[in-house]
Amino acid sequence: MERPGGGSIRRPGSSAASGAAKRADPFSEYTDANKLGITLDIESEEGRRLFLRLVAKADVVVESFPPGHLATIGCSYEVMSGANPGLVLASVTGFGQTGPRSGYRSCDLVACAFGGQMYVTGEPAASPLRAYGEQSSCVASLFAAVGVLLALIKRRKTGKGEHIDISSQEAVAGTLDHVLVRYLYDGIVPRRQGSLAWNRSSFILPCRDGHIHVSIAQQWETLVEWVAAEGMAEDLREERWNDEVYRSRHVDHVMDVLRRWTLGHDVEELVETAQAMRFPWAAVARPADVASSPQLIAREFFRAAGPAGPGGGPAMPGMPYRFDGSSSGPARRAPLPGEDNQRVYRDHLGLSEEEVARLARSGII
Amino acid sequence: MLDGILSGIRVVDLTWVLAGPFATRILADCGAEVIKVQSMKTAKGTEANLNGYFNTWNRNKRSITLDMSRPEARDLMLRLATISDVMVENFSPRVMANWGLTYEELKKANETLIMVSMSAMGQTGPWKDRVAFAPALHALSGLTYLSSYGDEQPVGLGYAYGDHVIGLYGALAVLAALEDRFRTGRGHHVDLSGYEALCTLMGPAIMGESLGGTPARPQGNRSDRFDACPSGCYPCRGTDRWCVISVSTDEEWGALCRVLDRVDLRDDERFRTLAARCSHEEQLDDLLRGWTAEQTAEEVVAFLQEAGVPAGIVQTAEDLAHDPHLRARRYFVPLEHPVLGRTLADRSPIRFEEDEPLDWKAAPQLGEDNRYVFRELLGLTEEEFLGHQESGVIS
Repeated sequence: MERPGGGSIRRPGSSAASGAAKRADPFSEYTDANKLGITLDIESEEGRRLFLRLVAKADVVVESFPPGHLATIGCSYEVMSGANPGLVLASVTGFGQTGPRSGYRSCDLVACAFGGQMYVTGEPAASPLRAYGEQSSCVASLFAAVGVLLALIKRRKTGKGEHIDISSQEAVAGTLDHVLVRYLYDGIVPRRQGSLAWNRSSFILPCRDGHIHVSIAQQWETLVEWVAAEGMAEDLREERWNDEVYRSRHVDHVMDVLRRWTLGHDVEELVETAQAMRFPWAAVARPADVASSPQLIAREFFRAAGPAGPGGGPAMPGMPYRFDGSSSGPARRAPLPGEDNQRVYRDHLGLSEEEVARLARSGII
Repeated sequence: MLDGILSGIRVVDLTWVLAGPFATRILADCGAEVIKVQSMKTAKGTEANLNGYFNTWNRNKRSITLDMSRPEARDLMLRLATISDVMVENFSPRVMANWGLTYEELKKANETLIMVSMSAMGQTGPWKDRVAFAPALHALSGLTYLSSYGDEQPVGLGYAYGDHVIGLYGALAVLAALEDRFRTGRGHHVDLSGYEALCTLMGPAIMGESLGGTPARPQGNRSDRFDACPSGCYPCRGTDRWCVISVSTDEEWGALCRVLDRVDLRDDERFRTLAARCSHEEQLDDLLRGWTAEQTAEEVVAFLQEAGVPAGIVQTAEDLAHDPHLRARRYFVPLEHPVLGRTLADRSPIRFEEDEPLDWKAAPQLGEDNRYVFRELLGLTEEEFLGHQESGVIS
């Protein structure tokens, strides 16, 4: 649901431009694929009443307005569940619906900072680094999707809906692996250390044609034999390096020696040999490498997203799972603003053609 | 187990480390009876029951021990499958097959079983036997390359973020399959690829390739989704203290100028529009850095947020543990552990109104539920049970 004309009802400054000026924007093409698109001025009284009629016929409403905004325009959860007691409402916001910071302004950068992602990411001598790709939104959305399915299962038992409160800060803080655990159990405050893993057993090294992710956690002696066979092991064959604790303490030296070795190789050549010995090594891929990955192509991970753009629709990642062997299938491209107004207002809601035309003229839809 | 949405759903959990255990923790938190299958041989490192890491990701679950290398173990697993709704595993594709426990075989024991296989690469394809942990999957998906200051040295995230993402998709798959089973009565085998899960996070960057635009490149703390300036991470008073500030609207820019006590900048031609501000980024960053460096991150963020400017403290683990907002939302839940004592765990970010997780259990001890599962649920006689224990099948 967008504002009439297609203006973003989300954060201003969005590069998803409005209306006809909207160009092929991979962000909305991706996140809005398979959806229907309608427009509605939810802040007008008539728009509000129309919205509640939609709510009465819906199973789920997902919204990301600042907390309290829907209540100020007469569409609180109480009002919505009055129209539909089985409704599941998922509210996804920066800090959640309650608590002293619920009124704070957020964005991905703010959520990643407050959630603990940034402090442990980046080079020690440089500033903390935000993860690429609006990860706080991605992961908050995943929690919301899981929450919606849980609420629907609950509704089967109780007949009643739910209001789900998702905070991006908590979504980030809830996906920190070792970071909080080490503080809560051992009093350790994890810091950022570049590409070196917290347990100092994996890191990234340069090759002739790119970079490789290298792990030395398993089969150290096999690795040293391999490097030594090419005459590049230097002192790593000495007994002291077989000690995991010693190795971890002097991992800088290990990285230096291995770097001189990896620089003489191509990434894929190393990955293939390493994988044959079951080392969990991988190429540091760029988006173009992902788009041409033989594994992803063989599994039909990409799907065409409708006829948009030059030369057909963009290749879009599908779902990461197959149910009983079947892939995701083609996707419907992201809708233009209001593209499905007729279908939704007339066919689903039962408004007459004249009514829909009048609402469009008066700028409600 | 807990009284919750998934009460009555039984899950056999063959997962380890983080991605799988995080998926089944979501189910356990909601009342599913999750039976974690462990063994004396493998209960080490992150799978050692008295490890804080284990306690965090395996709360609310049960534990049994079974040495899967023993032929008798297969029979017990098949019997467990017949009385369960869901089985989740995150081995390499060959492992379950080697044990004679493919979905086809399990399905013979239980026609409506839902099985979710979470492997690094998926069950099929030329790379299906490749091994990878989360950092390798970050690298393969493009997340590492793009989460860097520039092109020269990839950095990537400082923790196994991807395991949580894979776990979330795993939970989503279980719930979607359960929903479908409610409707159709059918079981499913779900083949979840960790590599693909990570790639779904990179959708726009990957699609950019086929849209023929400029390829996505690492750009530090800048976003290619939203235009904002000034926007970034700035040093504050103290050792390694930082804040973030992100200004996108003219209104936010005006508010920032007021807080800086520089209303003259608001009317300055160089900064009047977002586009103009973007072309004077360095100047604005210098200006902000000069101001933030004099104050604590807490002060900067309080001033700016009060004025309506998006700003945040770059919080450490210690900051998170004492965060007043998270405390007010009771984000940390105490778990009483018989050996570790009173421990703290993060609550699920999935919050339902009125839910109070007061009766959460710490992670189980190794084989804590052997008697309950093998005797009560599977109906082994005392003699059989003790026999299996003695011969090392249940161990």
